Amino acid sequence: MIWEVFRQERPGEYHAHCGNVHAPDRELARQFAAIQHGRRKPTNSLWVVPRDEIGEIDAEDVAFGGTTDKSYRWATTYSTAGADASEVAESEDDQADAEQRRGES
Amino acid sequence: MAGSFEASDGLSSRERRALETLLTRLGDDEFVLAERYTEWQVRAPSLESDLALANNAQDELGHARLWYDVLADVGLDERALAYERDPADFRHGTLVELPFETGDWADAVLRSYLYDVAEDLRLEALTASSHPKIADRVGKIRSEEKYHREHARSWLERLAEDDDGRGRLQDALDRLFPHALTLFEPAVPPRLGAKASENDVAKAAAVDADVVDLGLRTATLEELRSEWLSIVVPFLESLDLAVAVDRDAENPEADLDALLPDARGRDGAHTEAWFDLHDELTRTYRELGRTETTTIMEAPDG
Repeated sequence: MIWEVFRQERPGEYHAHCGNVHAPDRELARQFAAIQHGRRKPTNSLWVVPRDEIGEIDAEDVAFGGTTDKSYRWATTYSTAGADASEVAESEDDQADAEQRRGES
Repeated sequence: MAGSFEASDGLSSRERRALETLLTRLGDDEFVLAERYTEWQVRAPSLESDLALANNAQDELGHARLWYDVLADVGLDERALAYERDPADFRHGTLVELPFETGDWADAVLRSYLYDVAEDLRLEALTASSHPKIADRVGKIRSEEKYHREHARSWLERLAEDDDGRGRLQDALDRLFPHALTLFEPAVPPRLGAKASENDVAKAAAVDADVVDLGLRTATLEELRSEWLSIVVPFLESLDLAVAVDRDAENPEADLDALLPDARGRDGAHTEAWFDLHDELTRTYRELGRTETTTIMEAPDG
């Protein structure tokens, strides 16, 4: 039986899929996942989920959005003069991070 | 009377002998068990269990290194301990040196269980050691050992679910139990380069009494064995396995002593399998003319 494994690096972050393990039951799946997926990278928590329990909908089933370029919505494209309010600066940092992640994925 | 092990120089010969004897039995158990576990690499029943056992082997090697490293303070380096030492001078119990029957996974998980419960108890008895380095290192080791015990227990429960698996466990238990008892035997002080003394064998019990008296370990071997039995016997019986010990017997201690194998490892007498294993694990070192052990990390401190 295959268990998909999701790893959370730090408390509060999302669990991201990182691979799977073969195990006959949940307890062994947890133990195997700890070694296979929690040993070499910083890990706060792992989820193990039976593969059959995961519902999937893919690009053949439905036309997903996200194909048009909406980068004009990012406030990072505006140039401003002088110091911004801290809320604005934080928000811009968040957006720049998000944009960078999007570029990497 | 607690000794002072704050500074390694100025130890009395009694303190030094107790320290060396304790650390070789601790380090040798870990070192040799890791070597045996490694034989399962790419041969375990599944990729996952292969990795889990390899992980445990790597942990045990790290623990051996932590114990051997404390001996560096009294002038015994890792090379001398691991590669240059006479195999008869190793002080591990015979449980860890026995070869595995080909493909006998029941042996591997049962051995791991018997060993890891014993290890947990002896680590507990080292947490308040009078030697600051020993006390400091226990925490790191215990954090990894918890996984080893859970892994072994999970496998035992599952193997015991059907007759075939339980039969294999019973065979392994009948074979391994007497050797597991050697873990609680007093060790003859290792020679470690010094000349052998005729009285060494007779000194084993006295030196272990010194280990406790000097506060290096806070429980006696008898106490550790009795605690170990109170954990492993009920658990194994709950899996419908028969343990060759009657804890309600009139003289359970004598019964247990009678079960002990002739060669106990701790007394410097080993099974033939150990000499073969030692030959194998030192072969690369000898044939390539190595002069030191390989390290990829800085020496542990504290």
